[in-house]
Amino acid sequence: MSFPILSVIIGLPVAGALVVLTLRRTELVLPVAVASALVTFGATVWLLVEFEVGEAGFQFVEQATWYKPWGVGWHLGVDGISLLLVVLTGLLFPIALAASTSVTHRPREYAAAMLLLEAGILGVFLSLDLLVFFVFWEVMLVPMYFIIGIWGGERRVHAAVKFFLYTALGSALMFAGILALGFLGGGDAGPTFDFVKLLDANLSHTAQLWLFGAFGLSFAIKVPLFPFHTWLPDAHVEAPTAGSVILAGILLKLGAYGLIRFCLSLFPEASVQLVPLLAVLAVIGIIYGAIVAIVQTDVKRLVAYSSVSHLGFVVLGIFALTTQGLQGGVLQMVNHGLTTGALFLLVGMIYERRHTREIGQFGGLATVMPRYAGIFLFVAFASIGLPGLNGFIGEFFVLVGSFLSLPAYAIVAAFGVVLAAVYLLWAYQRMFTGPITVEENRGLRDLGVRETLILAPLIVLILFLGIYPKPALDRIQPSVDQILQRIEQTTTYVVPDLGTTGFEVPGP
Amino acid sequence: MTILSVAPEVVIVVAIVMLLMVDVQWHPGHRWWGVAAAMGLTGATVAVALQWSQYRGDAGASFFSGMIAVDGFGAFAGMVIFPLAGLGLMAAWPLVRSQGGRGAEFVVLTLIAASGAHLMAASANLVMLFIALEVFSLSLYVLAGFTRERADADEAALKYFLLGAVASAIFLYGIALVFAATGTTSISGVGAYLTGNVLLLPQGVLMAGTAMLMVGLAFKVSAAPFHMWAPDVYQGAPGGITGFLASGAKVAGFAALARVLTVALGDRITDWAPAVAVLAATSIVVGTLLALAQTDLKRMLAYSSVAHAGFILTALVAGSSGIPDMWFYVATYSVQVLAAFAVAAVVSGPTEGRAPLSDYAGLSTRSPWLAAVLGLLMLAMGGIPLTAGFVGKVAVFRSAIDADYLWLVIVGVIASVAGLFFYLRVIVLMYMQPAGEGAGRIGVPAGARVVLAVAATVTVIVGVVPWPLLEWLRNAIPL
Repeated sequence: MSFPILSVIIGLPVAGALVVLTLRRTELVLPVAVASALVTFGATVWLLVEFEVGEAGFQFVEQATWYKPWGVGWHLGVDGISLLLVVLTGLLFPIALAASTSVTHRPREYAAAMLLLEAGILGVFLSLDLLVFFVFWEVMLVPMYFIIGIWGGERRVHAAVKFFLYTALGSALMFAGILALGFLGGGDAGPTFDFVKLLDANLSHTAQLWLFGAFGLSFAIKVPLFPFHTWLPDAHVEAPTAGSVILAGILLKLGAYGLIRFCLSLFPEASVQLVPLLAVLAVIGIIYGAIVAIVQTDVKRLVAYSSVSHLGFVVLGIFALTTQGLQGGVLQMVNHGLTTGALFLLVGMIYERRHTREIGQFGGLATVMPRYAGIFLFVAFASIGLPGLNGFIGEFFVLVGSFLSLPAYAIVAAFGVVLAAVYLLWAYQRMFTGPITVEENRGLRDLGVRETLILAPLIVLILFLGIYPKPALDRIQPSVDQILQRIEQTTTYVVPDLGTTGFEVPGP
Repeated sequence: MTILSVAPEVVIVVAIVMLLMVDVQWHPGHRWWGVAAAMGLTGATVAVALQWSQYRGDAGASFFSGMIAVDGFGAFAGMVIFPLAGLGLMAAWPLVRSQGGRGAEFVVLTLIAASGAHLMAASANLVMLFIALEVFSLSLYVLAGFTRERADADEAALKYFLLGAVASAIFLYGIALVFAATGTTSISGVGAYLTGNVLLLPQGVLMAGTAMLMVGLAFKVSAAPFHMWAPDVYQGAPGGITGFLASGAKVAGFAALARVLTVALGDRITDWAPAVAVLAATSIVVGTLLALAQTDLKRMLAYSSVAHAGFILTALVAGSSGIPDMWFYVATYSVQVLAAFAVAAVVSGPTEGRAPLSDYAGLSTRSPWLAAVLGLLMLAMGGIPLTAGFVGKVAVFRSAIDADYLWLVIVGVIASVAGLFFYLRVIVLMYMQPAGEGAGRIGVPAGARVVLAVAATVTVIVGVVPWPLLEWLRNAIPL
């Protein structure tokens, strides 16, 4: 057996958490935690380098049976869909931890919770056994709950409980679904929760619809898809900066990842049938999230609602069921992780200085904080989807992909891009341009070296993926194509392609 | 070996006699009680372990004219009950000491209750089962009202006694009806008769008998709608003993219920499985909803134990194939609930009945370890992964799905989420609220420390690597 790199990747943050908990000197806690997260990041980069481009199946597979009568085992693997998300997780955690210097209350427990959260998230992305996947999925809630509930803002308890219960409600039904699927898919040989074996399960149409519902609801709450998004603004606003970065940057992706990995692959018939429903919800999310973002007076809330809008794009891309749409969806997940992560970091930095996030409290900041203003504008442009930056590539692919199969939805969704420009640029204008309106802002210092260094990797990647996205797309494509092939084989659905459909106008 | 079949009880009785005789003669005090109890419980545990090593799986046998069954089922029950009684006594030690000379009776009653509980699991005859049930219950009635000077403890004991007596009577009537229908009180004899013969009396006699047996035992395990006594008794009983009261009754009650249903009435599973399913669903829903409204930790745990009784019943709808899953849940939950009540006894006082939730605000600053263990236990009871509570839920739900009771599983998972609400509230109080004015640090007695350490270790280790225990439990099947 080859080196179990994936188990190591999951184990590293756990080990880091244990080390952090035993540290006696408080000032060592954060550096050790960051170092541990950096080691994990190194391992994920190694994964990225060693990953065989052009292969569709799972790589670095580890498989062992745990308990035969239950059909449960330790099965890990990574493919084009999860690879970039794993690397994104590895990247964002050291950044988020490094940006947590303002946490002075129980720093040891804080760092340990963050690292355990990282292990949970990596486990979700890597596990290919549904029961083990569910274990990671649920267990990840606990550190996040404490991060919001102990280190959050004023209404943190409310937000933490709401976050926990919303997510737990979704996953409860998924749990029942997983158990039912294990028995349905196992056949005479006893139940199995192995994802790869379940791909061959012969599920009836009704069973697929029910199971899609059970899994889909859980993922829809996590994404969050309209109308299940109401936990998100609370959780984001009350979470500490690092919590928001992780929540928006990675946790939301777990829902979209689940939709691709489990719903599309395991229940292809149901997926094809439910495309209109999900596409409508996605488009509503895009427009509604953007409109609500426009009227926010709290800049953190604004970014939170923009996530609803952006994740709508991701879901639309996924359920366009075209190569371009799915590729765009996966890429947009990574993009959103980078840009929104950066935006939350920026919001956190200004909050540390002024202890307010009200847009009306700022104005003319560009004169006192030119570097901050520049970076903010740059990230905002990436989020809007300015060509040359990463957001453009993702949204373009999603729109092209969905135009092929769902032209009407694509046209409506395109307005989301315009609205994104409205809420972000208007916020920028109010906060940064013109004369300084509030006296207290006159003495604000610009970003320091540490803060700039924290943001630098994100900026570099935003630029890199915007100019040269090919390496990312090459890794995503084979896995995406394989999913679509499976859908074509098991249903009557035909994946429209740029070459085959041309630009025919669909009939009325 | 015949003597091995009653060895656990013999050891316990010897320990009890020694304890009392020496105490009367030399007044050596509470240290001696502890030594005697420890010797008795250790000896009994060794005896059941020997039974396990010789009679587990298919090797079970019955002794004393088919009165006592020595099999993996009874032995495993003993291996849970006797250590549990030991932990219960450790948690209750401050209470024992506070009662002066009467403390000896407390220890003796706990030992009697433990042997009764084990006999309930090991009875091969319904009459023997009834006797064991009474031995067990009568000791618990006295323990519940042990602090005589507190009126609400007396109230709890009286309530427990009156309702328990009614339940016992119903159970006894059930035995009579089953005997009338089948002509035997032997548990395996009833099973053999039902598979081989046609009933001579109308169906209704056996059905009524089955129903009455179920009601009697449902009362003991506090399954809704027979749970009314639980909250009042748990809240009124002195803090130190509530844990054993709650956990011992669950282990013994479910052992008896499982044996009666799957061995005696296994052939009629289509008759009783729907009833068990309804009982399970009612318990889960009622227990969860009522627990939501509680402002007292012990009362909340009482209602949550009603819900947990429902989860455990869920495994039984699968009949005998659900028994390992039932055992897994029962064994892990009983440790959790014992430890949770032990925390209540430390925070609110060993002789106190009430444990208002407001006492727990800011517990993480008053006693970090106490808060951490209670938090872990709350997560385990809520069914969060990497705790034994999660694996238990997987176990019972997969049994139910295997038996095509998907609706019950859906009720269960939704109720689990609602349940998280009150478990999380305890965590919120402990970790996210400041402690009240003048609330100092809390010292944890040594006995309670052991209990909490054991419970936390078991909950985490079994939660992370449950496979050895699950593999083991495949042999914990009734004769």
